[in-house]
Amino acid sequence: MDKNFATRRRRDLIIAAVLAVVAAATPLVVKDVYVQNILILTLMYAALSQSWNILSGYCGQISLGHALYFGLGAYTTELLFTKFGVLPWFGMLAGGLLAAGIAMALGYPFFRLRGHYFVIATIVIAEIGLLLFQNWEWAGAALGITIPVRGDSWLKFQFMRSKLPYFYFALALCCIAWFVTWWLEDSKWGFWWRAVKDNPDAAESLGVVVFNSKMGAAAVSAFLVAVGGGFYAQYLAYIDPESVMGFQFSLLMALPAVLGGIGTLWGPVLGAAILIPMTELTRSFIGGSGRGVDLIVYGALIVLISLALPRGLVSLFSRAKGATR
Amino acid sequence: MTALLETRGVWQRFGGLVANSDVSISVGRGEIVGLIGPNGAGKSTLFNLIAGVLPPTQGSIWFDGQDVTRMRAAERCQLGVGRTFQVVKSFETMTVVDNVIVGALVRTTVMREARRKAHEVLEFTGLAARANVLASALVPAEKRRLEVARALATEPKLLLLDEVLTGLTPTEAQTGVALVRKVRDAGITVLMVEHVMEIVMPLVDRAIVLDLGKVLVEGKPADVVRDPKVISAYLGDRHAQGA
Repeated sequence: MDKNFATRRRRDLIIAAVLAVVAAATPLVVKDVYVQNILILTLMYAALSQSWNILSGYCGQISLGHALYFGLGAYTTELLFTKFGVLPWFGMLAGGLLAAGIAMALGYPFFRLRGHYFVIATIVIAEIGLLLFQNWEWAGAALGITIPVRGDSWLKFQFMRSKLPYFYFALALCCIAWFVTWWLEDSKWGFWWRAVKDNPDAAESLGVVVFNSKMGAAAVSAFLVAVGGGFYAQYLAYIDPESVMGFQFSLLMALPAVLGGIGTLWGPVLGAAILIPMTELTRSFIGGSGRGVDLIVYGALIVLISLALPRGLVSLFSRAKGATR
Repeated sequence: MTALLETRGVWQRFGGLVANSDVSISVGRGEIVGLIGPNGAGKSTLFNLIAGVLPPTQGSIWFDGQDVTRMRAAERCQLGVGRTFQVVKSFETMTVVDNVIVGALVRTTVMREARRKAHEVLEFTGLAARANVLASALVPAEKRRLEVARALATEPKLLLLDEVLTGLTPTEAQTGVALVRKVRDAGITVLMVEHVMEIVMPLVDRAIVLDLGKVLVEGKPADVVRDPKVISAYLGDRHAQGA
């Protein structure tokens, strides 16, 4: 029994390593900048969704406000860079820590809420964050911040001539988020989170400190998402509140995980690999005003998945093997 | 030696309703104690107070020489109080062994050790064959046993059983009784709430009868069932006079 379990864990790790190597090699074949852009976004959303999945999938605290942490990461990185000359690497780290701190400060009152009330609170808080940034003059208010071009450099994490460095960073972020999940899945925290999701009362009776579990999940989740936000800001080279903190980001973090399989190791990656290219392609085929159409497409997809495969696409694989998980 | 568990003058009021009034009971080490009483007697409330689901309105609860009145359920579990739920609360999306690992993680953070412990407990409770099945796929009697297994994995000194034998078929109930004896033989004190008298009485060393939130009678099971006060509480005064 234990052998099966260890084998499965090792198999996951090997598959991930192979996928990472294959992904790392794609730029050798894919020279088209447009396609590269799609790949970068796919990897980034896979990483974000994987991070979202820690709090909402494993620990069961559905957040539709993770755009707040994404935006915080983006703003912290760029404010530190443009106002104080702090390198984006440290900015991303600072953004991550700030987001983790804020996630816990918000968790303190909100983790007392259960179910739908918690979800509503996350939406409201993210909207408040958006409004604050839209009116904060020092941070550029609604006009946002343009990141000054200082020439291509790894130190300043800025590249104009090629997208490849961004691609590799997104890939690394995706690998880190996956690996953190993989590692936490078979740890005390991972078990505590799943117990909290399934039945908080029973968890409490078994020595699980429910509140601390949720706080831990929120901190890890927010940290990783904020690092992603810092990356995105550097990638765009321009940020404004709507383009890094808009509600669509909260959705785009949640949907891949839901599509692929919420609370599973592979769900977010699988979901992002399908959803993000589809979104981008729909958008470009329909044309500039197609913003609503891609939303219709994945709205329909989610409805379909929840009806036919409520445990997500990954359940197809476990069903084929006849395994229970 | 002092008692393992003691409640001292415990009161619990829910608004105007007094669920427990001045309840003082004690459970000695190595005993199997039955907490019985008719519906609405306050058994479940007292049970939840002991498990730490809510603090009592008044009075104190002592476990293993410590005042645990203000401690939360998770802390009491760390001290050695294990419990089951009357309405089973399995972690449905997790496998049986994973359910038990959650309990084992109170004593260790090493996953290998927790997993070994979980398998050991599953062996003990007769669930080993179901280890890798999702908890949602278990039949009700197995879910009850999983509740016990999970609690045992926390290595409790005191195991609180909330109607684990109620609603089982006679065969299942016999298996359950055997398991409770085995638990006690492993050195764990048991406090069990039941209202099926004929199952509990042969099993327990001592019975505490609650009625209308108060301790009515306590003593050896054979004496308790003959006590006119108990008969009247269960069946009404008319029957008690005949005894």
